[in-house]
This record gives sequence, C-alpha cells and structure tokens, in this order.
Amino acid sequence: MTDDKDVLRDVWFGRIPTCFTLYQDEITEREAEPYYLLLPRISYLTLVTDKVKKHFQKVMRQEEVSEIWFEYEGTPLKWHYPIGLLFDLHASNTALPWSITVHFKNFPEKDLLHCHSKDVIEAHFMACIKEADALKHKSQVINEMQKKDHKQLWMGLQNDKFEQFWAINRKLMEYPPEESGFRYIPFRIYQATTERPFIQKLFRPIASGGQLHTLGDLLKDVCPSAIAPEDGEQKTQVMIHGIEPMLETPIQWLSEHMSYPDNFLHISIIPRPTD
Amino acid sequence: VDVLLKAVGDTPIMKTKKWAVERTRTIQGLVDFIKKFLKLMASEQLFIYVNQSFAPSPDQEVGTLYECFGSDGKLVLHYCKSQAWG
Repeated sequence: MTDDKDVLRDVWFGRIPTCFTLYQDEITEREAEPYYLLLPRISYLTLVTDKVKKHFQKVMRQEEVSEIWFEYEGTPLKWHYPIGLLFDLHASNTALPWSITVHFKNFPEKDLLHCHSKDVIEAHFMACIKEADALKHKSQVINEMQKKDHKQLWMGLQNDKFEQFWAINRKLMEYPPEESGFRYIPFRIYQATTERPFIQKLFRPIASGGQLHTLGDLLKDVCPSAIAPEDGEQKTQVMIHGIEPMLETPIQWLSEHMSYPDNFLHISIIPRPTD
Repeated sequence: VDVLLKAVGDTPIMKTKKWAVERTRTIQGLVDFIKKFLKLMASEQLFIYVNQSFAPSPDQEVGTLYECFGSDGKLVLHYCKSQAWG
C-alpha cells in the first residue's frame, strides 16, 4: 500500500534540530561557538556527531580532549539509545532547537557506555536486530541471511540510505503465510520518572481468538499506569517517533511500520503537558 | 532469577554453573562476576550470548532477559573470551 510505505519514509527521514554547546568548565583556547545540526531520529548520537566533535576540538588543547559525551539538563544521554527516543523521552514538549551540552572530561562511568569506535555502534545495532528477530522469528530470518546482508543493514543506517536498508529489512518484517504476525513483538517502554531502564516483556500480536492486539492492549498488559482510568483524565502521553499513535492501532502494524532500524518499537511514556 | 552459565570454545568452565541472580543485576555486573570467578584479567574480554544468537547490551537487566528468553525456569547464557556469534 502506498500509504504504508510513506510511513516508513517519514520515520526514516525524521530530523530534530539541535544546538550543541560546549560545557562551560571545559578548558578552551578560544571562545567556543555553538554548533547547529539536524539529527536523524533513527540514528545514534556517536554515529552522527563527528562534525560536532571536530568543531569543538578546534578550540581546545589536545591534552584536554578525551572521549566525547552528551548531556541534556544534567542528564547524561545514552548514545546507545536512538536519538528520537532520547528526544521524546527527555525534551519532546520543550522549545526547539534541542539544546545538548558537549563534554570531553569526567566521563560518567555509571550512566554511560563507552563508544571508542564506530565498530562499537555497529555491534550494538546488530545485537538489537538479532534480539528483535529472536522475538519475532526465533532468529530464523536473521540467521538465514548472509554476512553481507547484515553489513547492508548497518551501511544503510550509517550512510542514511533508505532503499539500501529496507531491501534487507523487509525480510525481517515478513512472517509465514499461515501466521497473522510475528511470534512476539520487540518493544521497549521507557518512562523518565521510574528507576527501571525500560519494560520489555513477551507479547503476542494476535489474540488466541485471532483478533489483532492493539497498542492499548499492550499498555494495559505491561504498563497499565500509562492508560488513564475510564473516568479520569489522561495524565501521560504515549509517544513513538514524536507522535501519539491511536491506542486502537494494531501492534503488529506498528511493529512493521514504526519500529526503529534496530527493529524495536521504542515507546516513551511522558507526562502530558498542562497548558 | 536462575541463570545457567555455559562456556564456549576454549574458555575456562565455571565449577558452579547454576547461579541465582537478582533481577536487576546487569549483564556488565555478571561479566565482572564471571571474570573474578575465573580469575581473568579485567582487561580481557568476555562475551555473553542469549539463545546462542545475540549479545545483550552491558546495561541490560538479567530479569528482563529471563522474562523474554528464559525456559524451564532458567536463563541459559553462553560466555566466551572471543566473539562466537557476532
């Protein structure tokens, strides 16, 4: 369907206007100008910020520079979470551009993973895809692919090549003709307010009677606090890629069309703004 | 959560294979524990695999992995000093 393919493109090409500012305590030889960049929602911070790093390193002494890390309003940003997820979770109802602070010192070991090279990002990305396929197809589809197909998924993401990526990814979105969907849906639900990193459980897209489970069904099952009581007002927003999909949307459709390139549905539950 | 640790390749085998681990323990925490137990150097690499198919992120919680990939009341994890399944 043409409409559905448009959704895939809209998801892929989503961008967030961002302003990077150097942390004031970093030692510089000259004044550091802020750096503006449109960040792809579907990518990872350390994959798309080479220019940011170069820009700020120009005004710093060599010995002051170690691994770059990013922070928003005091919260270290996990580079291994997709950019769109980080924005939706921490800054979605604030004014654009998104203001991120850049650090080169005092790496927060407890909060962030290290990212010494692009290989680390690739390994993390592929591990997520494999985990997703373990849930969807008992790893059968990913294991049947050749190494060059895996590489193509990564290259598609790294080089922002939609067609190249989806030429392979579409196979991960298929299911046997006798089934109506995946075995289990790969999803993670994040809430800025809780201690737990995220909620991930087994959830079937099809009910025993054959009906399609919806986003609302998923939330009722694994995160009931996200859904308002019948008589109360909805205090939270359920956000994927910056929008609030209708709770009646079949979760199978969401998984096929609104997953991130890592094949997971990363869902943010955030407080609804009161205005 | 009950975890069963299996060695891969020429990685040393743990004398005790079955462990009860808190749900909130992370994979990194488990890696550090295995390294200590096997008297490996902190600088040596250790890879952990679920279902012999993927390596979970170091900050992933064992409880979540058990819920999604556990069977017969336990989570089976393979560990290896080199990359086994990519």
